[in-house]
Amino acid sequence: MGMEWFVWGWLVAVGIVFASAIIWLFPRMPEQYVRIHVWLLLLPGAAALAGWISAGTVEVGMWRFDTVSWLVGIYISLLSWAIQRFALRYLYGDRAYRFYFSLLTWTAFAASLTWAGGDLRLMAICWGMPLIGLVALTALKKEWGPARFVARQMALVFGISWLAVTVVAIWLGTATGEWQLASALSVDPLARLDAWEKAVMNGLLILAAIIPAGQWPFHRWLMESAVTPTPVSAIMHAGIVNAGGLLLWCFSPLFSGTGAHAALFLIAFFSILIGTGISLVHVDYKRQLVASTMAQMGVMFVQCALGVYGGAVAHLMLHGLFKATLFLQSGSVVPQVGGAGYRKAGGSWRSGMIVGALLGTAFWLFASGEPARLLSALLFGASASVAWGRLADFREGRWFGFAVVATLAFVSETVRHQFMVLFNEERAFSFVPSASFEWMVGMIFAAAALAAVWIANRRTSMLAVRLYMRFVHFGEPRPAAMETHPHYLTTYMKEGMARE
Amino acid sequence: MSKSAMSLERTVVMLNEDDTQGRPLADLVKEAAKSIAPLWPISSFIARHPWMGLEGELFADAADRWQQVYGIDLYPPMTVFYTALEKGEIDPVFVERRLQSWLDKQSLPVPRHEAERLCRSFLWNDTVPEEAFSLPEMAQLAEGTQLRPMAVQPISKRLDQIAKRLDQQMIKWCKLFYDESGGTWTLPQREQGFYQAWRQLVVTDPSLSKDERKRFSGWPHDKHEALNYALEKLGIRDEDVVAYLEAHLLALPGWAGMAVWRSHRAGDEVGGLIDYLAVRLSLEWVLTAPHLPLHGEENGERRDVLPLLAAWFYWTGMTPEDWRRLRTNEQQARLAFADRFWRIDRHHLWLEAWEDTDEAKLKEAVSTRHRMSEPEQVAAQLLFCIDVRSEPFRRHLEAAGPFETYGCAGFFGLPIQTRVLDSEDVHPSCPAIVDPRHEIREVAPPEEVEPYRFRRDMFRFVSKTFKKMKQHVLAGLLLPEMSGPWLGLHTLARSAAPAWAGQVIRYTKKSVEQKPKTTLSLHYHEGDETTGLPIGLTNEEQVEYVKQLLVTIGLTSSFAPLVVVCGHGSETTNNPYASALDCGACGGVAGAFNARVFAALANLPSVRAELAKEGIVIPDETVFVAAEHITTVDELRWLEVPPLSEAAQQSFDRLKQALHDVSRQANAERMMKLPHVGGKPRDPVAEAQRRAVDWSEIRPEWGLAGNTAFFIGRRALTKGVHLDGRVFLHSYDWRDDPTGEALARIIAGPATVGQWINLQYYASTVAPHYYGSGDKTTQTVTGGIGVMQGNGSDLLAGLPWQSVVSSDRELFHFPLRLLVIIEAPSYYIERLLNENSEFRRKVENGWLRLSSIDPNSGAWMKWGDTHSLSVWSREMGIGK
Repeated sequence: MGMEWFVWGWLVAVGIVFASAIIWLFPRMPEQYVRIHVWLLLLPGAAALAGWISAGTVEVGMWRFDTVSWLVGIYISLLSWAIQRFALRYLYGDRAYRFYFSLLTWTAFAASLTWAGGDLRLMAICWGMPLIGLVALTALKKEWGPARFVARQMALVFGISWLAVTVVAIWLGTATGEWQLASALSVDPLARLDAWEKAVMNGLLILAAIIPAGQWPFHRWLMESAVTPTPVSAIMHAGIVNAGGLLLWCFSPLFSGTGAHAALFLIAFFSILIGTGISLVHVDYKRQLVASTMAQMGVMFVQCALGVYGGAVAHLMLHGLFKATLFLQSGSVVPQVGGAGYRKAGGSWRSGMIVGALLGTAFWLFASGEPARLLSALLFGASASVAWGRLADFREGRWFGFAVVATLAFVSETVRHQFMVLFNEERAFSFVPSASFEWMVGMIFAAAALAAVWIANRRTSMLAVRLYMRFVHFGEPRPAAMETHPHYLTTYMKEGMARE
Repeated sequence: MSKSAMSLERTVVMLNEDDTQGRPLADLVKEAAKSIAPLWPISSFIARHPWMGLEGELFADAADRWQQVYGIDLYPPMTVFYTALEKGEIDPVFVERRLQSWLDKQSLPVPRHEAERLCRSFLWNDTVPEEAFSLPEMAQLAEGTQLRPMAVQPISKRLDQIAKRLDQQMIKWCKLFYDESGGTWTLPQREQGFYQAWRQLVVTDPSLSKDERKRFSGWPHDKHEALNYALEKLGIRDEDVVAYLEAHLLALPGWAGMAVWRSHRAGDEVGGLIDYLAVRLSLEWVLTAPHLPLHGEENGERRDVLPLLAAWFYWTGMTPEDWRRLRTNEQQARLAFADRFWRIDRHHLWLEAWEDTDEAKLKEAVSTRHRMSEPEQVAAQLLFCIDVRSEPFRRHLEAAGPFETYGCAGFFGLPIQTRVLDSEDVHPSCPAIVDPRHEIREVAPPEEVEPYRFRRDMFRFVSKTFKKMKQHVLAGLLLPEMSGPWLGLHTLARSAAPAWAGQVIRYTKKSVEQKPKTTLSLHYHEGDETTGLPIGLTNEEQVEYVKQLLVTIGLTSSFAPLVVVCGHGSETTNNPYASALDCGACGGVAGAFNARVFAALANLPSVRAELAKEGIVIPDETVFVAAEHITTVDELRWLEVPPLSEAAQQSFDRLKQALHDVSRQANAERMMKLPHVGGKPRDPVAEAQRRAVDWSEIRPEWGLAGNTAFFIGRRALTKGVHLDGRVFLHSYDWRDDPTGEALARIIAGPATVGQWINLQYYASTVAPHYYGSGDKTTQTVTGGIGVMQGNGSDLLAGLPWQSVVSSDRELFHFPLRLLVIIEAPSYYIERLLNENSEFRRKVENGWLRLSSIDPNSGAWMKWGDTHSLSVWSREMGIGK
């Protein structure tokens, strides 16, 4: 024994961080303290690292740790440290400066607790905590109408999600007589459930999972979430939207019916279409990012639907890094004067297709152990063909550039693969999709891509125009979620701008 | 309302489609467009003030109209004045003086003492106190009294929810149409123009209801026709058309400004605006049709006269009986007087008092300056941009050794467009009010260009692949996996060590790219033309440009062995407003290119020979060197150092030696003014360096915030005076300018740029939501052309909130109108005002302030107060 000390160590570290977030709120606390607070955020990460290396899988009381929870512990700690380091200067001067740090801390580490929960009741409680944090963060600019409106909308849909999780947790607990997650989800207790019970619970789980992920038909709140300051968007897109993946991962033994997976796939696929469509037609950068999140979370759920939970978890973590960085960097997208000078040769798309097809096939042949390899092969092939297509845009340096891209991609793929291996070793999943399901999914994606090519070549056709307008409409905020000019600043001015 | 009434019946034959009220539509639109200003894309941020078209009106009158019709205050709120008073920024003596002189000039509706009592109470009380409303009959009196009718308002505005929808629709269509981000799926039919594209697509817009879409059947396909038709369907009277269009333009002045800019770029004055208005009014009709016609009483809310009545009773001792005894027109006059004073004039007087206080302080500083002994042998002369950020650097430099500095517009008088090495982009590197006349290119031998392109395109290949993958339906889904680890590393590095990581990234890019040494295409050869402009300059032009600048700044003799031409630029990271910190005179980019061109021209033996003929003898040992002042870190970087003469080399070494300390002192001074998390930093230089590369820095530098005055005169007058980085300095020696031509040039060029910058800061401060661009943290870059707030808004034109405030509770920039101070005899000023009616108008109408310093007596004179141009402040005793 003694391994449980790592769990206690981690919990203490999280406790310290929470305490720090509260202390910081006292106006008497000097401003310099915020730097200490931000560095403290690394503490739980360090504890989780130690736990991962030394302890492996441990269960203590209501807590359960395995590779995934330890790694997520590290991930959340690092990410919230990076985001708060950013906020340190970025939000300086804001009226709610102190509150941002406390609530960012609350949101991130409450999520961290959820991942480490091993008890149904704990899960039910923890599920809502980060969501509350996010609503509060959005509402911090309370003087601004759109922010208030969006916060209310978020509170409403998140409430539904929380309710769904709570119902499942209580139902499962009472029906199986087990509150510990692992016990309740083991084979015997699950066998005690009726088929309809499982079906309804699966439905509730899907509902609970897709809401924070902004999946259709609950994408509105996500589309309108661009009212939050950049660091809040970063934490939202790196840490909260992907909670649904975690939920399904935790409940995967229960979430095992083919019907549920098919339903999840349909919702996710539809969300990918809409999300991608919005990000293609809309022109404001943060909206593009938000829409891309919707599509990416769709990918995560497609992976879940195919039973590739390891892949889903790898995706949600890498997407978190990806999206957090893009949000934090969103001030850099203004084009530079004098930067242009591309020669658009309009290269042949056929050679790109061939390269893509070859690489995709090669991947499919060699990665025989890879779950859902058909979809991966498709995506790899498409990526290769895009990179190949750029060769036509440049003359000097293009092969070298291509080599750089290939190297970067190779390293990234290795990282992803290692993650998957790590996660898949962890748990045995009850759901293995049939080959026909997998093929069907692959074909649907391929068909969607072909349809996109077809439309791209007929921009002015009625169908394309209607589709374009539809995507624009999907991505547009409601009038209450926007304001022509940020009027609350006049209130700030009227309050005299006298430092208190 | 029945449906048939909504359907569109074209009963009116539109014979004269382009004609309303006998005037062509284009004229009406042009007239209405005076209320807005063109908006340049954010990548080359141009400081422009939003009221260019209004300078024919008094500042206070424009403010009155804006406040009344659009609810936009052109003055800071009273609380800001009171705060300034508390901090000693406003001397109350000036408030009283301004009040008295204002009262002197008004025709008052009541005896002076009564008016004075009321006005003074208004000046010193933000609102009418609670107890003033306690008279029971007041509500009844107010009920029966009306104030003048409201101005013309868009019909949609009167139906509040519809206005919101209309704005949302316009924002949507504008952002899709004006997009320049190079997306893959752009607005279909875009090439046909805004109205045409919109007209074809709107019938498929799912955000409109079926009924609304139906109303488009039969709607004109021509924009002129559509605009006329919409005006007619909405029932706008001919005499109201201009006001009606103006109100529509001012609903979203940013997007409308973008339409103007696009129009100008395409060489069409108002075509783009007609498109814009045709779309907007057509939509307005479609959305409001079921509510038409509106009845009179729906014409906006009634103005509340209760507080005005209360003020009269409470502060002047008037009773309800007194009031009832007055004739209606007397009541009206009293109410109108109180209303205008309360909304506008009291703010104006406080603003003037603030400006007077500021001017008095400046005068005090200049007149009590510690006269510095002039060095016998000047080692180097440095030409800086007029930019207020040059002032501290120049001050420290002059104190560090025998160095002389000059100020001129940072484009060095060169109306050029530039093309950097191996680029397809050209950039007009001169102020927006100047049209480029020549193109100058950076060139290098092909054997060096190719390897350079190799190194550069390698990076571009990677970033373009990333961008294209993002836009690809399938590849985009894999992008997080492909790039996540790398982006994650990048984020962690930037978070762990912001300064270090930022510098490493910048350094790596620079050292891998390794731009080769380039030369400039200075000489025009027959037939060298591109986009209509000749490449290079003829001999005469070369001489003319060099001469013009040297004469303007008064550097025509006593050349030092080294003359440094300093352009300026900023260095910031992750900052959409980066170009707002660059050189405004160079079209919103760094001034390095122009500095290089000017130095190279001035070193040409052919140019020097010609100049010598005209009496400007530049000694052979004098060498012009180009450098760049990096304002974010207060560093001077050498751009091009030609072979130096012995004397020049000595000066160069001396200057280089001094620069280290100058940089430190200038940074230390600047860092004191910037807000810091948890106290001032220990090492100002390191702090400045960090700000330049830290991706999370919201205020990398203050830019031109704090600017208040524009000084035109010899440096000797301001040398050694701590001007706190708030003053534009333009060198000028009246003795070299007997005809006043140079002064006129300075006023028409640099001073106007200064005024634009000043009023942009002013506007962004007094109406941060409307003329500023709001909080930086909730902005989103749109279409690569500008920013919006949150989920979508007007295309925001001005400076962000963080550029004018230190925090949400503390103003940094004081909104004061630019004070132009000219060192020249009075008759120079009179001549200037007589010959330059545009400038005279600015002064008379209060769009800038003018003072002069008499070179002989040293007297400080104030020019042009409201209507009369008279010297009146000699008696005022400013600064005593």
